[in-house]
Amino acid sequence: MTTPLRKSLYVGFASVSIIGTAAGCAPTTEAPSTQTPATQNGGQASTGSPSASTSAGNGGSTYKDGTYSADGTYTSPNGQETVGVELKLAGDKVSAVNITVHPSNPNTKKFQGEFASGIAAQIVGKDIDELNVSKVAGSSLTSGGFNDAVKQIKSQAK
Amino acid sequence: MPHPGWSSFSFEGIGTHWEISTSSMLAPDVQRQLLATVADYDHTYSRFRPDSLVSALERGPGSISLPGHSVALRDVYEALYRISGGSMTPLIGSSLNRLGYDAGYTLVPSGAPEGAAKWEDVLEWSGTTVSSKVPLVLDVGAAGKGQLVDLLGEVLRSAGYLDFLVDGSGDMLHAGSMPVTVALEHPYDPKQAIGTVELDNSALCASASNRRAWGDGLHHVLDGITGQPIQTTVATWTMAASAMVADALATALFMVEPAALEAEFDFSWLRVFSNGTATFSGGFEGRLFT
Repeated sequence: MTTPLRKSLYVGFASVSIIGTAAGCAPTTEAPSTQTPATQNGGQASTGSPSASTSAGNGGSTYKDGTYSADGTYTSPNGQETVGVELKLAGDKVSAVNITVHPSNPNTKKFQGEFASGIAAQIVGKDIDELNVSKVAGSSLTSGGFNDAVKQIKSQAK
Repeated sequence: MPHPGWSSFSFEGIGTHWEISTSSMLAPDVQRQLLATVADYDHTYSRFRPDSLVSALERGPGSISLPGHSVALRDVYEALYRISGGSMTPLIGSSLNRLGYDAGYTLVPSGAPEGAAKWEDVLEWSGTTVSSKVPLVLDVGAAGKGQLVDLLGEVLRSAGYLDFLVDGSGDMLHAGSMPVTVALEHPYDPKQAIGTVELDNSALCASASNRRAWGDGLHHVLDGITGQPIQTTVATWTMAASAMVADALATALFMVEPAALEAEFDFSWLRVFSNGTATFSGGFEGRLFT
């Protein structure tokens, strides 16, 4: 396990360990086949948009290479919220992760907006990937949604 | 992995992900003990299981007998209930009366949510015995995960594992000779941290306004009514000797000024406000990025 130290990712990767090892699959030139859109699998409206990339192909891989995205949901006291997760898979490994929090509830939106504008002033964020830490403590708000999204991606990528 | 060469044991329990890291690999029977401890705790306190001990209180007045460790839980809840003037309570809001359980109660549509019942009115929690006068939901969520972290630490200690980190999705207990650096997650960007702390034979817990079970609606509601910029606590972190206390205090910091808590508890704290400022006590000094 390399970098994914931010909590949500950390949790996510733990649950997605089948993507963990490449099992010595030599790259082939086989083109990735079309992925099917995600199913409504516990989470909301996953817009399964695999943009088939080049790369290692599927020789011996469990999952098809490509970029996948899905939305996971979690429940905050403000109601249902969604978290967008984009994973790049190559040779059964996650090579990139992108998370977007997109609140659907107007209260949360306002809340986040005001927080975002205020935050720059005093506390300072640094990318966790750039820190030499193995543990993260904070709101586990999004991790449930993240896991949800990863589950959908796993079924998309089969 | 907190340190190179350490082993980790991961599992799901009480609705969250757990990772237990130890300097030497856990024996299978210790792993089983850990899982059994989690299962017991869930069976005792889960609000979502009809077969849990506390669920009996939802079905009607009566008494239940909790495990011995419930005494410590009661004490911390009792203290925080008192200090917070009833804001922090194991009796979750809108008591079941509201749902019609109480025969004499007529449901009246109301715009305002009903507050939680008063502890002294409906609940007697003495030692390991909990008695209720009305159907109620006993929710120990604000300190329960922390206590389970501690209980797992106890399992490890008694099995001879003295260097460990128990991580219940961000609520952590560290023991041993090798401190662990932990990043403090940015309240609204899980890719970022706002600082780091060195965890050295201590517990660290976090709470965020958007995942808390109760009390949380308050600042959103106020905001909607006044239209004022929100100037409220959005995230808290605490360090204390036990994860149970740290967990409970991380929640309490949303309702109570730190000084009131410091009068009764030995802990360090960090609060981040919605305007991007932070206040903290000694243990977090110099740990935030600038």
